[in-house]
Amino acid sequence: MSDIGKVRLRLPSSIKAGDVVQVRCLIIHPMERIERDKAGKIIDKKYNYINKVVVTYLGKTISTFDTTQSVSENPYFAFTLKATDPGPVTVTFHDTLGGKYEGTAQITFG
Amino acid sequence: MRDQGEAGAMTRREVLGTLGAMGVAGAAGTVSLTAAPAEAQTLGQNESVEAGLSRVFGGRPMKDGGSLIKLDVPLIAENGAVVPVAVEVNAPMTPQSYVKSIYVVADRNRIPIVTRVALSPEAGKAFMGANIRLGETGDVRAIVEQSDGTLWQIKREVKVTVGGCGG
Repeated sequence: MSDIGKVRLRLPSSIKAGDVVQVRCLIIHPMERIERDKAGKIIDKKYNYINKVVVTYLGKTISTFDTTQSVSENPYFAFTLKATDPGPVTVTFHDTLGGKYEGTAQITFG
Repeated sequence: MRDQGEAGAMTRREVLGTLGAMGVAGAAGTVSLTAAPAEAQTLGQNESVEAGLSRVFGGRPMKDGGSLIKLDVPLIAENGAVVPVAVEVNAPMTPQSYVKSIYVVADRNRIPIVTRVALSPEAGKAFMGANIRLGETGDVRAIVEQSDGTLWQIKREVKVTVGGCGG
């Protein structure tokens, strides 16, 4: 998977100051599920999945998702924030193998 | 019989104790490093939903959040690997009183606690959306914790045609 860690962020097309906007984001990630051997025993290994998603806007943490392997492959997340000032929204994904992936979108009014 | 059982428990305890000590030694006493993986593990464990809920919430009472929470899930999910879930809470988001966290729980999954979203008042609205996996037909719950510690719960059944958990 060469695309692993590709992040896409989508904002509404027009934002007015003070709006509560819904942001959607998507990341390409395998989110490995638990594997079992033929006897049904869980294979003990380090599974690679995203376990933390942090949303920051204007230097403040807006929301934090703690995720488990019950989240889909190539996960999609949506969240809201109150657009008070123009500035970047950053979504950071952390996976269990120490990978860190980031996506940024600019909030502009008009 | 009882003596034997107790003897068995003791040895097992000793073994676990030794393992634990080794683990601590291996981590070379770095508290911050060991804390993070432990945190992630406590959330996503292989367990029954009752065990998971009592572990996370410690048996605190939950009120019926039918009037407060809007849980948006499909009635029938054709593909259990990707099931869109959205939770919206009709509650104020002010620094004094806000929705602190939203939990999504899939009752029949082997890892029942799907995600926990911690929100800050700056979010403006208590809302989260995600795509989750569902192993089989069963209830999906949204549990909302407010800043004063009140818990609200809502359940919806989702019929799954093809399971998406594998594990």
